Amino acid sequence: METFINPKSLFHLLLLPCLLLYSSIAYNSSPVEAAMHTNNWAVLVCTSRFWFNYRHMANTLSLYRTVKRLGIPDERIILMLADDMACNTRNKYPAQVFNNENHRLNLYGDNVEVDYRGYEVTVENFLRVLTGRHETAVPRSKRLLSDEGSHILLYMTGHGGDEFLKFQDSEELQSHDLADAVKQMKEKHRFKELLIMVDTCQAATLFNQLQSPGVLAIGSSMKGENSYSHHLDSDVGVSVVDRFTYYTLAFFERLNIYDNASLSSLFSSYNPSLLMSTAYYRKDLYKRRLEEVPVTNFFGSVMETIHTDAAYKALSRRNSGRFEDEMSLDQSVHHIKRRMLIKVNDGDEIHDINPELLQGEEGASKCPWSTFRKKFQKAENVDSLLNYGLVAMIPLLVISTWLVQ
Amino acid sequence: MAETKEKSLSDEKPKPRVRPIVRLGIFLISHSFHVSVVCCTAGVLALFLLPVLAKNTYISENALMPGSASPMLSNQHVSDGNRLVKDLTNPNSKSSETGIESHKIIAQYMLDLGAEVSFHKFHPQMNQFHPLHFFSSPDSGKIQENYSCSSYGINTVGIIRAPHGDGKEAIVLVTPYNALKSGFGEALSLGIAYSVFSLLTQVTWLAKDIIWLVADSQYGEYAAVAAWLREYQTPKFSSLSTPNAEMCPDVNNLFELKGHSISGSKFSNSFRRAGTMASALVLKVRDQNEQFEDTISIYAEASNGQMPNLDLINVVNYLAVHRQGLRVNVEKLWSLLNSSWLKSLGEIFESLAKVAKSLYPKWKFGIPATEYVEGTATLASSLYYQALGVPTGPHGAFRDYQVDAITLEISPKFSLDKVWRNDILLRGGRLIEGVIRSVNNLLEKFHQSFFLYLLTSPSKFVSVGVYMIAFALLIAPLPMVAASLYVDANSSSNCSKGDSSTPSAITDTDEHSIAIRSWRWLNSAKLVFIVHLWGAIVSLLPYFISQIPDCSPTTSFMIWVLLSILSLLTLNSVLASPLACAKATQEKEWALVKSVTISSVFIGLGLMSVINFATAEIGALLMVPMCLLAQPLKLDVRAGTLRSFCRMICNLVLGHIAFPPAAFFLLKGMLDGFGNANVGDFWMWVESLWAWNSATYLFIVEVTYIFSHG
Repeated sequence: METFINPKSLFHLLLLPCLLLYSSIAYNSSPVEAAMHTNNWAVLVCTSRFWFNYRHMANTLSLYRTVKRLGIPDERIILMLADDMACNTRNKYPAQVFNNENHRLNLYGDNVEVDYRGYEVTVENFLRVLTGRHETAVPRSKRLLSDEGSHILLYMTGHGGDEFLKFQDSEELQSHDLADAVKQMKEKHRFKELLIMVDTCQAATLFNQLQSPGVLAIGSSMKGENSYSHHLDSDVGVSVVDRFTYYTLAFFERLNIYDNASLSSLFSSYNPSLLMSTAYYRKDLYKRRLEEVPVTNFFGSVMETIHTDAAYKALSRRNSGRFEDEMSLDQSVHHIKRRMLIKVNDGDEIHDINPELLQGEEGASKCPWSTFRKKFQKAENVDSLLNYGLVAMIPLLVISTWLVQ
Repeated sequence: MAETKEKSLSDEKPKPRVRPIVRLGIFLISHSFHVSVVCCTAGVLALFLLPVLAKNTYISENALMPGSASPMLSNQHVSDGNRLVKDLTNPNSKSSETGIESHKIIAQYMLDLGAEVSFHKFHPQMNQFHPLHFFSSPDSGKIQENYSCSSYGINTVGIIRAPHGDGKEAIVLVTPYNALKSGFGEALSLGIAYSVFSLLTQVTWLAKDIIWLVADSQYGEYAAVAAWLREYQTPKFSSLSTPNAEMCPDVNNLFELKGHSISGSKFSNSFRRAGTMASALVLKVRDQNEQFEDTISIYAEASNGQMPNLDLINVVNYLAVHRQGLRVNVEKLWSLLNSSWLKSLGEIFESLAKVAKSLYPKWKFGIPATEYVEGTATLASSLYYQALGVPTGPHGAFRDYQVDAITLEISPKFSLDKVWRNDILLRGGRLIEGVIRSVNNLLEKFHQSFFLYLLTSPSKFVSVGVYMIAFALLIAPLPMVAASLYVDANSSSNCSKGDSSTPSAITDTDEHSIAIRSWRWLNSAKLVFIVHLWGAIVSLLPYFISQIPDCSPTTSFMIWVLLSILSLLTLNSVLASPLACAKATQEKEWALVKSVTISSVFIGLGLMSVINFATAEIGALLMVPMCLLAQPLKLDVRAGTLRSFCRMICNLVLGHIAFPPAAFFLLKGMLDGFGNANVGDFWMWVESLWAWNSATYLFIVEVTYIFSHG
């Protein structure tokens, strides 16, 4: 990260008490890291064909459902399914896909938008999607139109091995290819942060060649380990979900769109004895502390709406230096406060925020009160404002009726 | 040749470097006697070790997933099947002379389920002798001229189309049924098939069409299935079938009647087809039974030792043992089970394994002696049926079209109460359902697992890589002995020359004579060729003999023997006359003749092992010792020593044993006792072999030849 930050901003950083909180709000004056987190994308890939790989499609569709539920809209999800299990002739339940033998949830409902299906799911197309090098005829819905403010979730499942992932029973994606694609994405400012989640055998080996900063990777198994399916649906006659994905889903089922469980709580939720493999995450390229990154940063699309005075705030910010930075910091503090209020029942998440640090920051803040008050009113006094408004309406109503009579 | 030259060169002047492989070759050739003894013993030993080296079977194809789906066959389907069994065993249905009634019943039941039904009328093909037929494609769909209306069979075929499938593939279920004298077992097998069929009409998961073939087995099970397959695989685009039907009013009547009674249904007079066959199951239920528990026997050997893919057997075995609790059997040579020498051999192996394990705990190759005996018995029968080349059931017809098929014979512990019958219907039906569902999951043809294997038990097999070792060891001495004989023959004549003339006086004439000598083996090759020719003639003779009408097996055998001798004499007088004088002048030529013989046997066995391993293995067991020991009787008699006498006895005994009729009688005598052996039996046996166009024929040719030579 240091290489991307010019000396001036480095000076600012040193002044600030909490570097990590600072980065969480994604304000940075350096040219590369300047973008804040503005949007979320998800690329979900099932790479294997054939009926007996039913579970891979179920995995991907379950993840699709989850990220959609957590707020990523369909237009920002690239769903790649290498085979069509729902309409496979062997499917006992035509046009339905389940990820559990209780068959409560049909993953292949009315609202599934598959962007790449069947033989379109190739290594070439996958790399084109990541790097954005499409032919001109490719429609927008099939492109990953992310920018430097994007958080991207890349989920892949299929059959893998040592440093490769099999596509379509005929090609392979090697770890070098993946690392190269990610590097290109970085160069082209196609993401701010990237979470790669892989559920294959020896998944961890796929991350070996990654070098680009801002990339976080988690795989279902270490080198030499297999990833196993979770259970068999004896009605459909195939395994319907993999262990790693099953427990990932189990984690997310407890969350709603406003939860801010951290990535570390997700990562620590994997129990090797239940997984029958060791989930491995690589975070040396990722600078934020995982305890402070909510999972919804990748798996959801919860945006902060920040009011700005000027229509084109970004320009003015670039001109003024230090003051703006500190103001943003102040916003971040409030952001955290509100989080604490909103928090529902995830008690274990509270330790994320260090009270001393907060105190120190508040002491250091020198922002103009007007901005603060506006924001405060907007965000928290909406209810009371509404109530006052309603009360004020009553005499108006009385007067108007009286006039009519 | 190259090696001999090399050797002579090294004799002349001590060359500093000879390539190691050449040196090794020279060493082996010069010690060919010891090498051949060691190799032969090792080969036989390796053959006996095969049951120990057998590996556990495993399901190789991912897509199969046997047993992953719970069976859907319910009591409702079982009672459907029971209804059919009752209707078929009902004495009223049997009243008809031709058994058409029961076919109508079956067809009606199929139609009620909503399946497509058609009758297939066929004329049984008489056994025809096609020499070397196995090299050609299975059949060209010849139409026989001598149809008679009295002899025809009717196969009833029901087809379920896969509801979402593309109709390009099919799974075949075959139940042989003889309408004229059907036992309860046959009716029961139809009941099982029907209950599965009625289930499969309802399910949504079919990807392949299901064909249920009720094969009319009054002319043999194989004939009916083969006739239907021939029709299926070779579509006729002319209207040849209609005049045939018109010729026989009876059949026409049957079709008409069906067509009228159920107009608008899915019955059709024309031949119905589904997609390419993925695999086929032949289901039988044995009538009488001596077992104490429900067992299921798997028959897999098709013509010429071809086997279905091992995965198919694995699936059946897995489902039968782990899901339905049936005991699985494969064919065994029962006489071997009680043999004490095998038992003691097994014990030796067991104790050896124990010693090995105590030395190094990771070595675990021992199996208990009883298991060894059973494994050997199974292996022997596996070898025997593969070598014989005669299919062990109707599934053999499918293998000719590269369709993997096996016969399942359920032998239930018999009792006649209804609970038992329902139980066997349920378990048998669920087994069939499971296999069909598993094959239904298949995306490609069976290809993952082995095609070349020998079974030592339903869950253990010896793969080609292992059993070839035994064979290779057995035939390895042949080229060495041939080479050493050749070298000896050449060098001995060289020496005799060297005595008379000094090495310095090598003239052009000498070189010429050397050149002649080096081509001397052509003479021997000619002799060998003539004897081979005679063998071929002898093996072709039965075809002509079988054309003679009204011949009892014994007389035709006699004719065969007479004709064979006659042909030998003719050949000898016509072709071998110059050879005979050569023989008279040079008695020492026998070594050269033997060398050529051995090399031809080596080539023959090598080729045969590619065509049919089991035949080659058994052939090698008989022929290799004979080839190695063979020596003119005259020489032995003249030598008069004990050693040569022993060798002579060995030769005579081996020669007789390996002569096919003698071998046959010995085997039969060992198995059944000598009392009922008969010359005619051999004729019948041979006749059965042509019927299957067996490659064994080639083997007989060779053995015959060897004998005549010895």
